[in-house]
Amino acid sequence: MEIIKLDHITKQYDDGFVALKDINLELESGKFYSLLGPSGSGKTTILRIIAGFTEASAGKVYFDGQDITNLDASKRHINTVFQNYALFPHLNVYENVAFALKLRRRPESEIREKVKDALHTVRLDGYANREISELSGGQQQRVAIARAIINEPKVLLLDECLSALDKRLRKEMQFELRAIQKKLGITFIFVTHDQEEALAMSDEIFVLNDGEIQQSGSPVDIYDEPVNDFVARFIGDSNILSGRMIRDFAVEFAGKDFECADAGITPGEKVEVVLRPEDLDITAPAAGKLMVTVQSQLFMGDHFKIKAIGQDGFEWLIHSTNGVQIGQEVGIFFDPEDIHVMRLGETEEEFDARLETYEGED
Amino acid sequence: MKKTIWGRVYFGLVLLILYLPIFYLIYFSFSSGSSMDHFRHFTWEHYQTLFADKRLLAILLETIMLALLSSLAATVLGTFGAIAIQRSKEAYRKILLSFNNILIVSPDVIIGASFLILFTALGFSLGFASVLLSHIAFSVPIVVLMVLPKLKEMDNSLIDAAQDLGANNYQVFSQVLLPALTPGILSGFFMALTYSLDDFAVTFFVTGNGFTTLSVEIYSRARQGIDLEVNALSTIIFFFVLLLVGVYYFLTKRQGKKANKLGGLLR
Repeated sequence: MEIIKLDHITKQYDDGFVALKDINLELESGKFYSLLGPSGSGKTTILRIIAGFTEASAGKVYFDGQDITNLDASKRHINTVFQNYALFPHLNVYENVAFALKLRRRPESEIREKVKDALHTVRLDGYANREISELSGGQQQRVAIARAIINEPKVLLLDECLSALDKRLRKEMQFELRAIQKKLGITFIFVTHDQEEALAMSDEIFVLNDGEIQQSGSPVDIYDEPVNDFVARFIGDSNILSGRMIRDFAVEFAGKDFECADAGITPGEKVEVVLRPEDLDITAPAAGKLMVTVQSQLFMGDHFKIKAIGQDGFEWLIHSTNGVQIGQEVGIFFDPEDIHVMRLGETEEEFDARLETYEGED
Repeated sequence: MKKTIWGRVYFGLVLLILYLPIFYLIYFSFSSGSSMDHFRHFTWEHYQTLFADKRLLAILLETIMLALLSSLAATVLGTFGAIAIQRSKEAYRKILLSFNNILIVSPDVIIGASFLILFTALGFSLGFASVLLSHIAFSVPIVVLMVLPKLKEMDNSLIDAAQDLGANNYQVFSQVLLPALTPGILSGFFMALTYSLDDFAVTFFVTGNGFTTLSVEIYSRARQGIDLEVNALSTIIFFFVLLLVGVYYFLTKRQGKKANKLGGLLR
């Protein structure tokens, strides 16, 4: 069921800056969505337009089938967890969480019951009487979530709300957010610039850049089949080489011809080829498809990040569980499915349409 | 910075010089006789005449009432004024703020004279109302200046959050904005109070025949030679102000604790 729909939303500020260019998106209820993009990509603007803090210059916002474009933020059944939590410093945990219910003058017994439930959901039982300043960052985060879910919204917006936490806590909160979303069964829209976070938690990701949606899809789709080099570079590490399509299922790059899994591109067309560093295997020089010379190596704990120079001067990034000698000549091996071919300037719709023409043949 | 003995001596000296005239005045309020050339013997006499002087006591009460009323009104006006300035557009905001600051910088004599001209031109009779209005007028810019920094340091997402949770404009104001501004509003109120209490120049211009404040009254009495009754009154006022400062200190200290909490939250 569709819960939120943005219809041709644009946003231009008074100074002429265009934050959003014709955004169209449909969100289903009960799913975990991420808006992923670098700062200035417009992701927070989309969130603010859905919440009602910012007015779109043109276009319509639909909530549950109803036009809410001009509805005040206070009247929308949408709540927000803010980037810096925005907890009221003069109120304690209980009063913060109860804020929305007190505004609506609910009976005291109902408020107490619901606050207790909300604090239980975010695993903060027994913290009701604490002052906000006594809480750690992670606990403040949970209070902010409890405060936002007390009204039982159908959609919860989360604005970069993990970015202030340290790495370990952030990982922990990723699991927890996902668990809370599953438990409540409501739609989460999570804004982030951290691709790992988006990949880990989302049912569907919207990748944004320069006020436009670059690509949308499941984390696996976006990671494995980026539509352009922005998405390929932004999501994970990648080796992007320029190449030329020879015919369907064959592509030329780094001076050699390779079998690949892409088709529907005019033979001879210039393309870009993406190879993920973890798909590259290091082999003996003779067994590899390409020969490279190891230049440097970083130990990351669970893997090595290896930089190597190819014969044509291309700098390869390789992830390997085993270390290599610096200066050593090694071969790199990859399967045809590891090669992802991108057409220059292809939009997401064109990409999807092309995919359909040959994927049935497999 | 290292505290040296000379630093302390210097500081003590400055304080001593600043407070010496006041202590001198207090000292002679307990001296019998009618002049301050030398201390004769201890007496409550001047305090007795003071408390018998119904006119002076009435003026004292009226002065305090004027101060409370004008600073209260100025606090309300100034707080809303500061919010309006903060919400206005960047270029416009600077102009508004400059107009506000001109009123603080310009000499009291000019403000007093201009009020006198305004009131006579309007045919407004001089008296309590004219003094009250002018005191409110010169206190508003002070309150604006005290509240504005608190508005600037407030996290705007708090307002978004309140709206997000269903608060209407009034609820946002009363439940989020006001608590956040309270320290600034309090200091603005107390500043306005002291400005009103000790104003002489502006008041001198706009008091009519029927109404006078303490500073104007003492000034007119002093022209006929200082009466030690004034010393007694000054002593009482000094301790009253000391009490006020104490209360202010206590209130801001309590607010300060809350402000620290806010600081901790933002960190």
